Formats: sequence, C-alpha cells, structure tokens
Amino acid sequence: MSPRALSDPLLRDAHVLRASDPVGEAVRHLLHSGLPALPVAGEDGRFCGIFGEREFMEALFPGYLKQLKYAGFVPRSLEDALQKRSSCRAEPVRTYMNTEHIDVAPDFSDAQLAEIFLHHRVLIVPVVEDGRVDGVITRSDFFRALADRFIASG
Amino acid sequence: MALAVILFTAALAVIATERVDRTKVALIGACLVLLTQTIEQDAAIEAIDWNTLGLLAGMMLMVKVTEPTGVYTWLAIRAGQLSRGRPLAIVVSLATTTAVLSAFLDNLTTVLLMVPITFLLADALDIDPLPLIIIEILVSNIGGTATLIGDPPNILIAGATDLTFVEFIVNLAPIAALAFVIVTAGLYLVYRRQLRVAPEARKRVMELDPARSIEDLDELKRTVPILIGTILLFFAHQALHIEPATVAMTGATVMLLVSRQAIEKSLAGIEWPTLFFFVGLFVMVGALEETGAIDEVAEGIASVTAGDRSAELLGIAWTAAIGSGIVDNIPFTAAMIPVVEQLQGANGGDDAYWWALALGACFGGNATLVAAAANVAAAGMAARAGRPIGFIAFLKIGLPVTLVSMLLATGYITVRYL
Repeated sequence: MSPRALSDPLLRDAHVLRASDPVGEAVRHLLHSGLPALPVAGEDGRFCGIFGEREFMEALFPGYLKQLKYAGFVPRSLEDALQKRSSCRAEPVRTYMNTEHIDVAPDFSDAQLAEIFLHHRVLIVPVVEDGRVDGVITRSDFFRALADRFIASG
Repeated sequence: MALAVILFTAALAVIATERVDRTKVALIGACLVLLTQTIEQDAAIEAIDWNTLGLLAGMMLMVKVTEPTGVYTWLAIRAGQLSRGRPLAIVVSLATTTAVLSAFLDNLTTVLLMVPITFLLADALDIDPLPLIIIEILVSNIGGTATLIGDPPNILIAGATDLTFVEFIVNLAPIAALAFVIVTAGLYLVYRRQLRVAPEARKRVMELDPARSIEDLDELKRTVPILIGTILLFFAHQALHIEPATVAMTGATVMLLVSRQAIEKSLAGIEWPTLFFFVGLFVMVGALEETGAIDEVAEGIASVTAGDRSAELLGIAWTAAIGSGIVDNIPFTAAMIPVVEQLQGANGGDDAYWWALALGACFGGNATLVAAAANVAAAGMAARAGRPIGFIAFLKIGLPVTLVSMLLATGYITVRYL
C-alpha cells in the first residue's frame, strides 16, 4: 500500500502569498481560498512562511493580548482594539507570517503528516519541492479522511 | 592567571554585546577554564555556590506554582484600579506594586507579570504604555535592592557571606525606599504630559473585573499562604539557624506537596538557563580566585586607595554601578565578591563593604537596557507587543536615574558608614 494512501487525494492547490503583500490583500486571498492558512514566498519565489487565521488575529489584536495568560477579567468587546489596529492592513505579510513553519517534501507519508498534526499547532502543511510550493494539506481535510476511514472500517 | 583573566574579560565583553546567549557564554567560559586546567574540576565544583542556586531555584518554583492561580494579575489590576485613572496615582500604584513585588520575588518575574497588565491598562486608558513600562523596569531594580532575595546581586552576596535577611533590610531598605520615592517622583514629572487620561477612558479601567483574574481559587488558597509563610520565615532564618536556601527550598517543597499541579510542569518552570548561567560564572570566577587574579585586583585597589576606607567603600559602589551598567550586574557582582571579601577582611570583616557592593550593583542595573535581566526581558515583551524600547531611549532615562540613585547611595554610605 502507498505510504500516503490516505493523504494523497488531500493535496490542494493554494494561492501563494508574497511576503511583501499587504495584510489586507492577504486576508482577502485567505477568505477567498477557503483554507485556514496560505503559504508565503519571498521575492525569489521560495517558500518562507505561513499566513493564516492565527497570524491574522495576531496582526489585528493588540500585541499584549498574546502575552496575557488569561483575559477573562477584560469585559470588553474588540471594537476599540480593531479600530486602533486597522492600520495593520497596509503592513506587509512578512511582519506577521509564521516563519517557524513545518513543511514536507513531495515524498511525505501519512505517518509523517499525522506526527506533524499531533505535535504542532499548524492548520496546513505545505508540500515543498526545491523551495517551491506544490500544494498544501489542511488539518481538517486530514481529520475528515481519517474519520471516514475509521467509520468505514467499523 | 592570564588565561583566566582573558577568558573572563572576553566572556563579559560577549555578554555585553547581547549577540550570544549569556548562559552559553558562561558555560563555554567554564568549559575552557576546565579544559585548559586553569582550575581543577574539584576546585570548580567547590566554587559553585549552592546556597545561591538553592535560593534561586526555590523562589522560582514558588512563583511558578503560584502564578497560574492569577494572584499576580489580580494585584496588578487592583493597583491600576486604585488609581481610578488619575495619572499620578497610576504611576504611584503601579510603581509601588512593582517595587514591593520585586523586593520579595525576583525582578525578572515581577516585570514579566506586570508588563502585559500594564499594556492592558494603558490601552484602556488610551495612553502610551512605554512610560509606565520604563518606570516599572527602573523601580523593579530599586525595589529589588531592599532585600536579600530581591535582586540577583544580593542573592550572590548572601550566598558568599553570613549576612542575614534582616541585616539586608536594615541596611538596604532605607536607601532603596528613598531612591524609590525620588526616582518615581522624578519620572512622573518627566512623563506627566504623556500620561493625561480622558475622563471616559478612566471609566474603562474600572470595568476590568479583578475577581475574574483569579483562575484557581482553591490552588491559590493552598499555595499563596506558603509563599507568604516562606517570606516571613526569611525574617527568622538567623534565629532558627537556617540558611536562606533551605528556607526557599523548604517552602518550594511544601508548595509542591500541597499543589495539585503536575510536578513536571512545576519543575519545568525553573529558569534553568539562569541557574546554568550562575554555574558557569561561579566556575569562571573560581578560576580567577584559584590563579590569584582576584588577589592582584584586591591588592591593586588597596594600593590605589592606600587602605582608605571611605575611598574603598565609594570606589566599590561606583565601580559596581558602572561595571553593572556596561556588562550585566550578575557576572560583575560574581567577580567583585571575592575582591570585596579580601578588602573587607583586611578591615576586620566590615560589612559596609557588602552594602556598598549591593547598592552599586543593584542601582547600576538601571543604567542601560542590558544591565539587568529584568530590563532585557521587559524590553523583549514590549517589542513583541509592538512597542520596542530602544537602547538609547532607555539610556536617556536609565542613566540619569542611576546617577541620582548612586548620588543618594553615596550620601547614604557617607552618613551611615563613614
């Protein structure tokens, strides 16, 4: 059996953002793609990071919010904060992208993907060959494929 | 001897550049003095001050176990709300909370606890958070000066001497309190224009619900009384003939026993890089002692001062302040301790030498952004929150604050010990 019988059909094409793209444009691509995150490439076209839901929230929310270990005592809506941080839409994606990304080579296996989703809080795993993004696999697709197989084998 | 001096000086220089992690530098230095047999392994192990390490580890553990209860967040929010959004009151309440916490916890922990809440308060008040953050950094170093456990230089001095918790307070708290009042007042005057708060913003601070910051009331009831009890026990450690490290480790052990948190998680909260930094430093300073370099420095100082006690006391204080400002007050104090030991020994075991060193090293920690671990950590948090504190911007405030504090310390040493 193929080492990626499960994940082979899950590989999706994804728009590759540029590190210099403004956050506002990146968010539009993100919404349009229906994916939880998109890969980012540098000016040389090589994969260099990920910009997704978490990175967008980091750009939008005040920086200290992430440093608070708990915020149950803040009875505020985010309206003020969103207004104050609206300037982030013109900032480049590279300011907020996650550079501690996890990617796989085209010869990845199901087990390798499972290990990545188990150990890392990533929403997508880009498949990268020679620095170029071939496609991405999302955590939710992987979960669905696993769950379908699990139910079917019962 | 030359090799030990060269390695130590090189390590200090690299630490000052902040290019390489200070723990890595200290460990490389320690390995090199061992590999070159500048110091034998047995002597290196003997040079490690386990009292200092035990005290640090015990206090780190207690803070780590009590932190998830939310008690420190509660304190910071209450401090902010006590001010009711009035600028002077905000400065006084946040500065006082920071200074008092720093006196009984370490400075680094205190700023890590205070900075995120200060950002939140400043955001609610719609004011620039940086003046408040800078004030907190500065007063954390001043507050930490007051006690044996408040600042790493004091912990190092306590590890090397028989000075008690009460002696530290009696000798250092008065000048720390005076410096705190004058520095806080001065900083308020400097920043008052940036701290103007609109009336509607004042209400927003009062909307925060401190009661909801308590995340685990049961754990708080189990652990915080042990922390308070341990601090009280420090006051009696001499009468009970118990070393400070034993007090801290006993408190930490009892806390681990009653806490419901996983022991692996609690132990992981110990700042191992800091402890290994100390281990590396002790070995390097041990090499300086073994090879006679410390004797030479002490003799050199004694010949310059011609044994004049006033010159020696003030010289130690100012050298420690300048050295700490340039390098980092921990390695500087570690190297100064054996020198001061010799000088004060030659003066019949005069403890005033230790207070001069403590004041110089702790107050010197305010001079630059790299002078104390708390400064570096707070600047890092501010940068991650999108408001970096520049080296020069800090220097413009830190240096005058250090100068004022050191002038006060000079007056204090003169009046009290000369």
